[in-house]
Order: sequence, then structure tokens, then C-alpha cells
Amino acid sequence: MSQPLDRRRFLGMAGLGAVAVAGGALIAGCGDAKTSSGPGTTNKDQLQLLLPAYVAAATGIKPDIPSVQGTNGFFSDAVFLSYPANPVTTSTGVPGKGGSYTATTPLWGAIPSSSGNAYYDAVNKALGATIKLQPADGSNYDKVLPTLFAGDKLPDWIQIPSWNMGLLGFADAVNKFADLGPYLSGDAVKAYPNLAAVPTAAWQCCIWNGKLYGLPVYYGGATFNGMLMYRKDIFDKEGINADEINTPDALAALGKQLTNAAAGRWAFDDLYGYLNNVFKFPADPNRWIIDSSGKILHRYETPGIVEALTWQQSMAKAGYIHPDALADKSQDAKQRFWSGKVVVTGDGAGAWAGDDAKSGQAANPTYNRQAFKIFAADGKPEVLMNPSAGMYSFLNAKLSADQVKECLAVANYLAAPYGSAEWLTVNYGTAGTDYTIVGGNPVLTERGNKEVATTYQFLITPLTSTTVKAGFTQVTKDYAAWQGEMVKYAVKPAFYGMNITEPAQYAKLTQPVEDAIKDVRYGRKPISAFQDAVKTWQSQGGNALRAFYEDIRQKYGTGQ
Amino acid sequence: MTAIPETTPAVPVAAEHDAARTRRRAERRRRLRRDRALLIMTVPAVLLLVVFNYVPMFGAATAFQNYSIYAGFMHSPWVGLETFRQLFADPLFWGALENTVVLSLVQLVLFFPVPIALAVLLNSIMSGKVRTIVQSVVYLPHFFSWVLAVTIFQEMLGGAGALNTALRQHGLATWNIMTDPGTFKYLITSQVVWKEAGWGIIVFLAALAAIDQNLYEAAAADGAGRWRRMWHITLPGIRGVVVLMLVLRLGNVLTVGFEQMLIQRGAVGRDAAEVLDTYAYYYGVVNANFSLGAAASLFKGVFSLIVILAANKIAHLAGEDGLYRR
Amino acid sequence: MTASALTATSRRRAARPNWEEPPTPAGQAGKATVLLVVVAVVIVPLYMVVLTSLSTQGAVNRAGGMVLVPHGLTVEAYRQIFTNQLVMHSLLVSLGITVVGTVISMVVTVLCAYGLSRQNSYAHRPILMILVVTMFFSGGLIPTFLVVSALGGYDNYWSLILPGAVSVFNILVMRAFFAGTAQELIDAASIDGASDWRTLRSVVLPTSRAVVAVISLFYAVGYWNTFFNALLYLPDNQKWPLQMVIYTYTLQGNSMPGTGVTNTGQYYGHQQVAALAIQMAVVTLTLIPILVIYPFVQRHFTKGVLLGAVKG
Repeated sequence: MSQPLDRRRFLGMAGLGAVAVAGGALIAGCGDAKTSSGPGTTNKDQLQLLLPAYVAAATGIKPDIPSVQGTNGFFSDAVFLSYPANPVTTSTGVPGKGGSYTATTPLWGAIPSSSGNAYYDAVNKALGATIKLQPADGSNYDKVLPTLFAGDKLPDWIQIPSWNMGLLGFADAVNKFADLGPYLSGDAVKAYPNLAAVPTAAWQCCIWNGKLYGLPVYYGGATFNGMLMYRKDIFDKEGINADEINTPDALAALGKQLTNAAAGRWAFDDLYGYLNNVFKFPADPNRWIIDSSGKILHRYETPGIVEALTWQQSMAKAGYIHPDALADKSQDAKQRFWSGKVVVTGDGAGAWAGDDAKSGQAANPTYNRQAFKIFAADGKPEVLMNPSAGMYSFLNAKLSADQVKECLAVANYLAAPYGSAEWLTVNYGTAGTDYTIVGGNPVLTERGNKEVATTYQFLITPLTSTTVKAGFTQVTKDYAAWQGEMVKYAVKPAFYGMNITEPAQYAKLTQPVEDAIKDVRYGRKPISAFQDAVKTWQSQGGNALRAFYEDIRQKYGTGQ
Repeated sequence: MTAIPETTPAVPVAAEHDAARTRRRAERRRRLRRDRALLIMTVPAVLLLVVFNYVPMFGAATAFQNYSIYAGFMHSPWVGLETFRQLFADPLFWGALENTVVLSLVQLVLFFPVPIALAVLLNSIMSGKVRTIVQSVVYLPHFFSWVLAVTIFQEMLGGAGALNTALRQHGLATWNIMTDPGTFKYLITSQVVWKEAGWGIIVFLAALAAIDQNLYEAAAADGAGRWRRMWHITLPGIRGVVVLMLVLRLGNVLTVGFEQMLIQRGAVGRDAAEVLDTYAYYYGVVNANFSLGAAASLFKGVFSLIVILAANKIAHLAGEDGLYRR
Repeated sequence: MTASALTATSRRRAARPNWEEPPTPAGQAGKATVLLVVVAVVIVPLYMVVLTSLSTQGAVNRAGGMVLVPHGLTVEAYRQIFTNQLVMHSLLVSLGITVVGTVISMVVTVLCAYGLSRQNSYAHRPILMILVVTMFFSGGLIPTFLVVSALGGYDNYWSLILPGAVSVFNILVMRAFFAGTAQELIDAASIDGASDWRTLRSVVLPTSRAVVAVISLFYAVGYWNTFFNALLYLPDNQKWPLQMVIYTYTLQGNSMPGTGVTNTGQYYGHQQVAALAIQMAVVTLTLIPILVIYPFVQRHFTKGVLLGAVKG
């Protein structure tokens, strides 16, 4: 049986995402251009023509805690502590015209049955069109995608995560997709109010080769890789105040205090992936910074990464990091945290939610996950942001104009905001059959749990909101407060949102450096091994890549 | 096969050659007619292989192209041996090759005899009940995925696992076998033994069952003790199958497990865990460099074919049949 | 040998034959130790797998992973799997694929193995080479996909059977066993005027029960576990075999980075299942069919049933 790679590791290995690999200097979408289908550059003026207009949603839906505006245009998610009692219907009439479409989306979880599925039937009825969903195994999606392209078996509507785009030579892949510009650019999007409410930053990522191809999925106002978190219940017992941990040294001191190997508890999990904001170096998928002297540096070349690796290595050698983390068993990290085998861990923001609390409290009712306040080694906290969306869906180029319009109308329905009646149907199905309202929030019934999986949602979503899961209201409030603070430090890394495509020959150079990073951070090799690997990287192509980016900076700026 | 009567040597040499050739052709046609049924029997298998294995082999051409799935085979540019040149110039490739061969040889020595020994041992157990119990569980790890297998090893032998927790509680030093690059090859082999030895005994059990029991009785009557019987009857009885398995194993010398290495590569480092298949994965597949993957595959194929033919030849020299008779 | 003679042999199996001397105490102790170690090394992990599949999230948290000492038990993991309609349907698909596939493969394999097992038969070496080469060279994922799709295999059940129907390894093993059938029997049959087909059916097959059972087992296991071909060729979930469906259960609880979305789904009333418990339940379910089938195969390993030694 084939086994999923941990997504985080996968991203780390090949450095995929917004910055991808290509053949030739060009600025395209969040994708990959391997051969020469002649993509043009997209300068700011052209971009303005392509981007759909932004019209804030006028649905009258009010969140319980509104979005907090941060710096540089980033904002926190709106918070809903309960679902509005009488949800409004944001769209009029039925969007579909009876058409039938096949849709392929990845799924990380049990596949629901498609026959006799009341949820599918209800949504298709509401849509007025039949979307035949064919979820594919998310962990093996990277094997399926090339065959679909090579064998010309693409469905009508397909979703592709950004981390799978490197595999596909994306600048050529997009030729198989419908150009949505004529339907959505500029004021055309106003025909679809919910699509017009998608923030411009999210649309920007959907542009490849100077054309608008993608629909953004699960985009937010402030997307970033993740943060350091801790077990507040254990901190309380040990008398530690998390607010006092605001330097790397203070964090390191916790190592000795919290580790008791004989009792099976270690202070830290593998924190490297979340130390980037502490030590000021970019995490995937961002790669470059511009230092104080104006020089373009790859993250491998920053002083911050050396500090982070040195810090982690000293923790590993002192025995403060859990052995399974040092054995690269990242998929069990959550379980280690729930079991209290590690006290300080790092994870994506999605981990701080009611589902997590429910799992954690199964054996220990005092379980309490909290995140550290943002701190940095130099005392000036910053959080580097990621591109707004991580996944995109595309319509097949073979669809006729009418079919495209019908699918966009369907997308408009699917993108109805949180708090609307449509959202409830798409995400929870039919009241009574698939879900009930418990404590003000929708909860799936037993039947719903079998029938409702993340399917339609992978085609397009509204702006992410923070909601209450499994009845844990306090967790939601804690996270919302933390996020409101965090966006005050949000910054754009160099070349943010510019979707630059790097020349293909440099792709494989990163692997040896990533291997060296693992050797160092798990304590196997000294820091010099990393520095040697970086020198090799520089001479074999890193310096040439820097010249490439210098060229881009001259011509197009740095996306700030 | 009937003998052909000799002609008298009064005929001139050229004509004799012609006659000999005609004889040979007649001989061949005779054998063809005789074995017609046997040939027809092989047709379904060969047909399936031609359609599903040989036809797709045109894909091996991507090793000589700069392949793109959009340009396809027809339109991807040809680069000749460039990909191979890049492959052979990469020290990481040679490192992976070395690891592969070393791991393979270690497994050959430490793993290959285990199923045989286990099968012979089980065969010698009198009690049917004991035999049934052992046989009905010993193969089960074969059905675990490698992820589960490594997880179990981590739970037992990992730094926070059962063994090390016990050591710590008694104040002894811990044994970090799961993250030690130096002993990685033995760890890998022990994992393979645990997982595959039980399944591997099946073929040998079938072979042991085929040995004529009367031979044992006759030998015992002649005064041969249990060890002599094993040496003179049991082992020779399964020798053919053992040699066949050995030749096939040698043919697969460059395949030492992909998933098993992938999962543990982060734990011990690339230097110890990179094998050809993971190399092709990280530098080929992940970067959509299909040409590199195809080149590595082609290299493996050619190398393996040479090895298996050589192994078979050696088997012939040793008097065994190996893959096929002389 | 007649059937009754066979059963008589197996019933007598437990008794020691006269010519065999009783085991030494050292020998017995040695054997017992080895067997105990072998069984323990397999049983303990198996126990952990089954126990974890029956454990609550609380028990898993307490253990920090796989459970060794039971703390909280529940059959929730199995209930979730079995009440999924897709699981039951995929079970039927897998059964169908396995039966049909094994029959097809066995027919093709037995015929080909016998066809290549006679000494000096016409062209048997070139044909063997044709077979062996496919063990080392393959076109790769995409070319194979293109060929199967071109033949209409996409979204079709036969794509799970035909591309993998021939295992050269299995043919070679069976061929080795056939070649070892006592030549006297075959000569006797040909003197009686039997054709090759007749010889195969009446002489070779009846004496090759063990290898036929073994190779059938290998093929059946292969078809039952078919995963990769289903992944590539069956976009329609309704056509999926069991392994694909229950494999997706093991992904439950994984979240995708950047989305904050977890596929646990939370529902009202029932205990939340530990992701680890579901994964272990899937593993346990995978083992059940083979545990059921294997004793039937093992019966054919009785000694003395076959005549003639096995040659290469």
C-alpha cells in the first residue's frame, strides 16, 4: 500500500507552492512552466485588467467578533460563535440549468458513497445542476494527476493543490483549462456577487501566463505557515508563564525544566518548521528576503536559518526533543502533544480548534492548547505571510461558453459566505437528516458524518471564518484573540504574490540542502554540514538564481 | 526423438553441408510439430505481456528525451545520452547505487537463508498442532504496510519506545538503533526478516512437501541419522527451488525497498538511506523530471538483466538449472 | 493417490514414523526457543494492532500511540467502517475481481508454465527470455496508462485484472515444479498416446496440488490487495475495490496545511474515534481474509502426497 507523505515534509523537500519551477524567466501564476508555451509577463497594468473587481459582500451577515485589520493589508478572520439563527439566502433562484458535470477533488479522509447520498442529492438539487463528484485519494493525488493530463482524461472541473503543481509543468497544464478572464475580469464578475466578494489577493494567485484560470479555495486574510504552541495546563502546573517566553533563550530554558525522559515527557517536538518568525527567515513556500543592505538572499543564506538550526541542534543534543520527532515521525506529532509526551510543539493555525480540544481532552480534561505570542530573537516581531490560497480549481477548456457560465453560477452558490443558508446546505447538507443545531452551531448527525465530506468545498469556498467546533467556544475565542494580535505583525516577504516561475534546472538543487538541514536539526551532523551544502548550492545554481531575481526586481519590483 | 540414419561419406562436402542443413531444418520442423501444443499453451501469457508490458516499453524512450507530458512522446525534444551523462556525473547517484548494492548484499546474506531455515525447521516438527499455529501467524507481517511496520519498530525500539523506556528506568544507557546511520543496514535487514520471512517460507514448504518420503525411510534404514538425512535428502530436494529463488533475488539486486527507505530517510539521513529508487523519486518524480526517472529505470533494468543472466550461467556451471535448462 | 489415502496420510501425520528417531532434549529445547521467539515477535505487534483498533481516544492518549495495556475499549472504529455503504459495495467488487482474476491468471500461468517445462521443447528458451525481460524493463507509469486507456480500460473493471494478470515470477516457480514431475509418469502417458493437454490435465496437475495452491494464493492475495490500478483507472468511487475504500479511512484526521481543515468531521452523540484506532481497524480488516484462506492452502503441504523430487 502506498503511503501518504506528510504534506509539510513534501513542501519542505521540493519547495513548491507559489514559487515554482519553469523554463525561462517569466512572471506567471502560482504555477510551474517547464516548457516553452510562450507565457508572457504580467506587469501591474495588465494585472489590473485581469483581476476581477472587488465588491464587498452586502449580505448583512454580522460576525460575533469582526475581522481585525492588521498591517500591510492583512486581516484576521471574522469570528462566528454561533450560526445565525435565520440564515439569509444570498443568491436568487437556482444557479444551474440542468447541466451535468464531472468533478475531481482530492480528499484526505473516508470517501462517501455517491449512490443514495442524501447530501449530494440535496446540494445538486439546490444547485440545479448535477455535479458528479469523484473524490480521489489526496495522498496519492500526485500520481493520478500526471496520468489525467497525459491521457487526456481531465474531468469538467478539477481541483489542484499548489503543492502538486510542480509535478505538472503548470504553464503548459493551464492550456487544458478554460480562460475565465472573459467571464470574471473587471466588472464582469459583478454578475456573480459572491465571487466579487473574493479578495483581490486571492484572485491574484489564480493568474497564469497572463490569463485568469483558477478559482481560489480556502483562502484567508492572513495565511501563514504556523506558530509555536504549548500545553497551558502543563505550564500552569509547572508554574510557567508563557508571556515571559519572548526570547529564544527563554524558550531554551524550558527544555531543561520540562524534560523528564524517564517519565516519558520531553519539552519539545521538532520545532524547526515554526522557528522562522523567531529567527527571521522565510518558511516554505516563500524563499527570498531582501536584507538591510538591499541584497537578495535565499532563505538558505540568511543568518536566521543558521541561528535556528544551531538552536534546535543544541536542544536535540541536550536531549530535550522527543526521540520520535528526531526520527522524523512528524505525522504522529499531534498524538504526542495530546498525550503530553511533548509540551511545546509547532503546528498550523488549523490545529488550534475544537476538534483538537476534543481529542486532547479525551484522556485529560485539563488539556489546553495555546499559542505563544509572536516573539523574535531581535526583539522586533514579524510574521511572514503566505499567498492567500493554497488550492485552486479549474474548468476544462473543452466546456462551451454556456457551460462555463453555468459552472460559474454554481461556483457563486458554493462561495456563499458563512452565515448564509447556502453555506449551510453546501457544508452540512439538509437540516435534520445530515445535521442538527447543537449549542447554536451545526453538528453532523451519524448519517451526515458518512455522507458529508469535503467535496464541493474543494471547488471554491467563501473567505475563511473562525467558527466553533465540537462546542468548544472558549478555544475559538482564544484563537480569535491571538490572531487579532498576530496580524499586527504581518509582513509581505520579498516577491510576495508575484508568482514567479524559476528555471527548471535549479529545482533539484534544493534536495541536498534540505537533507543537510534534517541532518543538522536532528543532531546528526554539525552546522558546518549545512553551510557546506549551501556553498555547493550557491555555486551550482544559487547565485545564478539570485541574478534571475535581481532582474525581476529591476523590472517588476518586489511585491511589497 | 528418433535418430537419423547416417548417410555414407561417399557424398561431396558441399552437398554434405546441404544435407546436414536440410536435416537440421527437418529436425526443427519435427520438433515444432511435436511441441505445437506446448507452444500454444504459452500464447495467452505472451500475448498479455506483449500488450501490457512490451507495448508500453516505448516509454523507455523518455530516457533519451526531455520529456514533457504535454508534448508527449512524439514532440518532446531528443537529448540523446545527456540525461545519462547527468546521472553518472552526479555523486549522489553513485552514493545511492552503493547503498543499494550494499543493502542488497547484506540482505542476501542475512535474510535469504532465513525462510529456508524456518521452512526446514517447521517441516521437522512432528506435532501438527504446533506447526499449524506457527504457520498461521508467521506470515501475517507481510500484510502490514511499511508505515505500520516502521511504526511498530519505532514503538518497540525507538528512543521513546518500550525497550529504551525500560532501559532508562533502570538507569542504563539507551540504544538509539532507529536513528543510527552506522547500523542502518542491519536495522533494515531485521525489518525485512520480521516482515517477509514468514511469507517466504511458503514456497519452500511446498517444495519440502514434494520430497518423496520413501527416501527418508530408505536412508534411515541404511543407518543415516537426522543430520545426514537433512544434508543428503532434504537440502538437495529443495536445491532447485533455492537456486531459482537465489537467481531471481540476484536479478533484483538493485531493488531494496522504496517505501521502507522513504519512511526512514529522515531518521537516519540521506547518506545511509538513499537507494536508487528514492534517488529517482526525489530527483526525478518530485521535480516532474520523468526523463531522469526513465533513465534510472533503464539503468536498473540493464544492470539487473546482466546480473541475472550471469547468475543463471553460474548456476548452470554448478550443475543446477536456475531459471531455465541449458 | 486416492483421496482416502491422502486423508489417511494426514491423519497419521501426528504419529512419528518408525524410522524416525525421537528428538533429543537439547534439540527440542532449541526448536522450541526459536519457534517461541518467532511467534512472539509476530503476535505482540498483532496484539497491539488489534487492541489499538478497539481503543478509545482516551486510551490512545494515555498510551501516547499504540496501546499495549487496555484502558478503554470501543468498537466505534469498526462500526464507522462497516456502516459505510461504499465499504460493503467495494467488498463485492473485490470478491469479484479476486475470483475472476485468480481464475484467469491461473489458467494462463498453468498453461504457460507447463508449455515451458518440457526439456528441449521448441523455442522454450527464447520464450522464457521474453518473459524474464519484462521483470526488469517496464515502460513506466504514463506509457502503461496510455496503453490501457487506449484499449478502453479507463473507468472499467478489467483494468484491475488484465494488466497484471501475468506474473512472470509465478510462472517461473510453477514451471520449476512442473519440470520436476517424475519423467516416468510423463513417458508412460505419452506411450499411452496422451497429448500434451491430456498429460497436463491427468498427470501433472494432480501431482502438483501444492504449487497450484501456493500460486493461486499468491495471485488471490495480489488481486485482493489491488490498489494502484484502482487509483489510476477508476475515477468512479462506486467501482472501487475494498482496499482503496478502507485505505481512505486511514487518512482520516489528517489536515492539509494552509487550510486549517481537518477531515475528522465531528458528529453528535457518538464518541469520537481516534484516528489511530481507525487505521488499526483497517489493518485488522485487511488480515481477516488471509487468515481465513491460508489454512485451505496449507492443507496441501502434507508430506508424501507428491511423487518425484523437485528439480530446477
